[in-house]
Amino acid sequence: MSAYDGSGWMGRMVREGPQIDVVGLTKTFGGLVAVDDLSFSVRPGVVTGFLGPNGSGKTTTLRCVLGLLHPTSGSTTIGGVPYRELADPVGTVGAALEASSFHPGRSARAHLEVMAIGVGIDTGRARQVLDMVGLGEVADKRVGGFSLGMRQRLGLAAALLGDPEVLVLDEPANGLDPAGIAWLREFLRALAREGRTVLVASHVLSEVQQTVDEVVVLSRGRLVRQGTLEQLDSGPREVLVRTPRPDLLHEALAGRPMQVVGTDAEGRTRVVGGSTADVGHAAFEAGVELHELVAEPSHLERVFLELTEGGAA
Amino acid sequence: MTALVRAELRKVLSTRLWWGLLIGALAFSALQSGVTAAFSGMEAGPVQPALPGLDTAEAVRSVYPLSMVTGTYMFALVLGITGMTGEYRYQTITSTFLVSPRRARVVVAKVLAHALVGAGFAVAGLLTVLVVGGTVMSLRGHGLGLDAERLWPTMGLAVLAVATWTVVGIGVGTLIRSQIVAIVLALLFTFLIEPLVSLAAAAAGLDQVARWLPGNASSALMAPGDTMLDYLDWWAGGLVLLGYGLVLAGLGVVLSVRRDVS
Repeated sequence: MSAYDGSGWMGRMVREGPQIDVVGLTKTFGGLVAVDDLSFSVRPGVVTGFLGPNGSGKTTTLRCVLGLLHPTSGSTTIGGVPYRELADPVGTVGAALEASSFHPGRSARAHLEVMAIGVGIDTGRARQVLDMVGLGEVADKRVGGFSLGMRQRLGLAAALLGDPEVLVLDEPANGLDPAGIAWLREFLRALAREGRTVLVASHVLSEVQQTVDEVVVLSRGRLVRQGTLEQLDSGPREVLVRTPRPDLLHEALAGRPMQVVGTDAEGRTRVVGGSTADVGHAAFEAGVELHELVAEPSHLERVFLELTEGGAA
Repeated sequence: MTALVRAELRKVLSTRLWWGLLIGALAFSALQSGVTAAFSGMEAGPVQPALPGLDTAEAVRSVYPLSMVTGTYMFALVLGITGMTGEYRYQTITSTFLVSPRRARVVVAKVLAHALVGAGFAVAGLLTVLVVGGTVMSLRGHGLGLDAERLWPTMGLAVLAVATWTVVGIGVGTLIRSQIVAIVLALLFTFLIEPLVSLAAAAAGLDQVARWLPGNASSALMAPGDTMLDYLDWWAGGLVLLGYGLVLAGLGVVLSVRRDVS
């Protein structure tokens, strides 16, 4: 499958990766429901963030998608095919699940060569992907001496080994330094621009906020939101007001469509239902002294917390 | 399948563990062979029966293939165990099953690869006992005894026996995924429990039961001659040992396919 990439006037053919479909997925461990009737799809050509707090079922879902766990019910497919039935799994899906799954006594290159030999990829490709993730110089060092960040990069190299159309990464920014995170962001965006399907799980929204186009938000094993990042970030902003007399501000807003909903971590009064101009005008008319009046810069983090703390209720 | 076997071979040979196990196996084989060659032909003492002299084919087979198997089989067993438990200990099983989600094929490839490495251990062990045992025999004024009756067929069977012990190890490692527990239990069984049970059984005249145990089946394969326990015929011992290997490996395949990897 290929599609025209409309972004450049010269035009170039990019392949379009297959879609990931999770349909009615439920997975229980003993009596514990880890994933509960979960359905969502991941499109090619964009980076999709798979978000939720620790323990919300992200890793369980990914492991089901990758054929490592047997779903209790429901199905997961990649381009319509279950992972375990893919003709060329390594060339279709590249996955990096956790930074700890390497034999400490094996060199980075040997780890990748074991994978390459098993699927008949030229072992020279191991060196190539190690260079791509910046591990070329330590290719023959034992993984036991690697930092967490280096292991993350090795995991990514393993995922890239088969030049796959789909990438599935679980918390790939863990252990990366700020420069590494910036590098990862560009790297993933470039892969998505090539038409690949990229799914990135994270429990920290701010970590992937600048990377992802779409989000799938999970809480307690259930889907609570799927959409674009803009959709998640849309809706009215709160206004933050610093005043020595919050009680008077409260009175000044009474009878107007605005409402005080509490105070933020810095002690500022949070107001909803109006713009900064609306709040400023009301305070001015009531003669309330203000020291600061700003619109909340982004409420993604707050929406994310509300979504995930509220659970699926 | 060939590619998967090659991948598993690369996996075994790309860490240092196999070196340590091979050195251990060769050292034990050399020791066993040297001691056997040195004491062959000894008169019966208060605690042990007379040992056949070095001019008998039986003694020569003891010095060469039997000593190699005695010195090597537990290292082969540990090699097989770690081949499977290492995957779980370091969670490389995730990567293994991602690369080839048809899990039965991977486990079969793992069994074949480890059997090959086990056979390699056995061949290296045979070379060692030929040198060490042969030297001691020469020092005692005997020939090398390389024309002894049934020596070469027994050497071949010895290689098969060690390879099969490796396969048994894969099965044990699938049943007990904790590396340390699997190794300790396997060594306890082969070194302590099975010999004690065999001794007790021999004393109680229960040879018919004890000879089906894997270690005794393995010993029977070497046709050791006069022994305390009444062993199976060599071919039956071989089939029983192979049976243990195949049943355990089969369990390994079934369990690996069914299991969740988390």
